[in-house]
This record gives sequence, C-alpha cells and structure tokens, in this order.
Amino acid sequence: MSVDERHVLQQHQVTLLELVDRVLNGGVVLSGDITLSVADVDLVYVGLRVLVSSVATLEEQRELALEGALR
Amino acid sequence: MIHVYGIVDELDSLPPLAGVDDAPLERRRVGGLELVVSRLSGRASSEIPRDAVLRHAEVVEQLMSRSRAVLPAQFGPDFGDEDELAAAVRTRSRELERGLSRVRGCVEFGLRALGEPERAEAGPAASSGAEYMRDRLAEAQRRDRLLAEVHEPLARLSRATAVSAGASGSRFTGAYLVPAENVASFREAVLRVESTHPELTIVCTGPWPPYSFAGDREDEA
Repeated sequence: MSVDERHVLQQHQVTLLELVDRVLNGGVVLSGDITLSVADVDLVYVGLRVLVSSVATLEEQRELALEGALR
Repeated sequence: MIHVYGIVDELDSLPPLAGVDDAPLERRRVGGLELVVSRLSGRASSEIPRDAVLRHAEVVEQLMSRSRAVLPAQFGPDFGDEDELAAAVRTRSRELERGLSRVRGCVEFGLRALGEPERAEAGPAASSGAEYMRDRLAEAQRRDRLLAEVHEPLARLSRATAVSAGASGSRFTGAYLVPAENVASFREAVLRVESTHPELTIVCTGPWPPYSFAGDREDEA
C-alpha cells in the first residue's frame, strides 16, 4: 500500500469514528428509556490519538522518500 | 419493535434502501410531525450493532437530500409499539418543531484541535501557592486565546455551535451548524485556522446531518 493510499484509508477511519460517535451520542432522544449509551466515552478521541501519531509518522516517511528522490 | 431514524419536514419520497435488519422504511405522522421508521421483527435487532448503526446513518443521510429538514434520532432505544411512539412524540412535539426550524437549511461540521498545550517555561513544578495560581491563570489565558482564534471565526459563520474545550485530552472539540450558503466560507475559515496554528492538528469533518443540534443542548451562535 502506498503512503497516499494509507492516508486515504486513515481519513476513512476518522470519518467512520466521527459518524459512529454522532449516531450513538448525538441525535434527538425520543424515549427516556435509554438502553444503549456510550455518552461519557469519547470514541473519536480514543481513535484519533492512535491515528494522529501514525499520520505524523507517514508524513516523515513521505519527506524522507522525497528527499531521496530529489538527490 | 419500532426503530426511529428521524423527524422530517417535507420529505419528497422515501429513499430506495431498506432500514435496520433490511426492514422496509415507513412514514408515520404524529400530530403535525412526520417520522421515518422501520419495524424490527424480534425484541432486538438481529444485525450486529455496527451494521445497524451504519444503516441508520445511511438512511438519515439520504433523508437529508430528500427533505427540507431532518432532525436525526439517536440510535436506539426502540419503541415497543405505535402507541408508545406516538405518546413520546406528542409530549416532545414543541421541542421537536423548534429543533426542525433550527436545523432547516443547515449542515453540521465537526472540528477537533489536537496538540500538546504550549508551556510557558519548562521549569520545575510550581513550588509555591502563588506560582501555582500564576500557572493556572496562564493556562486559562491560553485556553481563552485558543477559543478566540480557532472557535470564534467559525462560530461567526454558524447558526449555532456546541463546544467543549479540552474534552478528553483534545485541546478543543466543536460542532458547527452551518447554513448551506456559508459552507464554502466555513471551509476557507478552517484552512486559515490550520495555517495560523501549525502547532495544532485540526481535524474537520462534514457536512453531516445535524446530529449535534437535534436536542436542546447547544448554545446559539
């Protein structure tokens, strides 16, 4: 998988996390009888912490590859 | 069981897809409000939650493009029967109508700013009460500055905002209810914030259905 492909994959993962967070924690609650709640867990932050560090690593790799190509 | 996807305003037609558990989508009118629902055969969904959550989201997304406004429902809990659903909607009808008019013509954007808080000096931990108070004050000022520089330019383009500063360790998390005509300028404003704050990782997602503005929780911009 190329760096670009991995970048796209990670963007998909962020979007998916944001989506799941909204569907489970957002939206209007019509019934008071809540059977499923993850309201106090920030799912996205947990996922992003992993993602952001790996995006930074990928950027470094990309820069190294560019330097190599220009030499 | 009845699963609710959202409350809709002037829905053209139901989207051509099935709901959770592949059950057909149905329209329900309760008082002056219209809902989109589907029936679940068993007591609970037989789909594993991930697929059901994604299906719910897909239905809401499609409703967005087919109606004047959608107030997305939170995924679950489901209703036992029609009477239970109708009673729940009737008790909340005024709040739901207010919600529909609030989100009409708008989409939601999400923004997260991540990054280590800058330290004034990398000295040892505060040794006196006065130093401790000074550090606390400096931290509060940094937070205010971040809000003024990151949040306020975006809030000016929004009808409403929902913000939590420093939630769960991220520097700042915000949701913005943006009128359709401001979407392009909102995106430009995000890019400007990104370039003026290289120390932050800005994650902006959207446009979303207005999940964060469906209840009566947010602050008006």
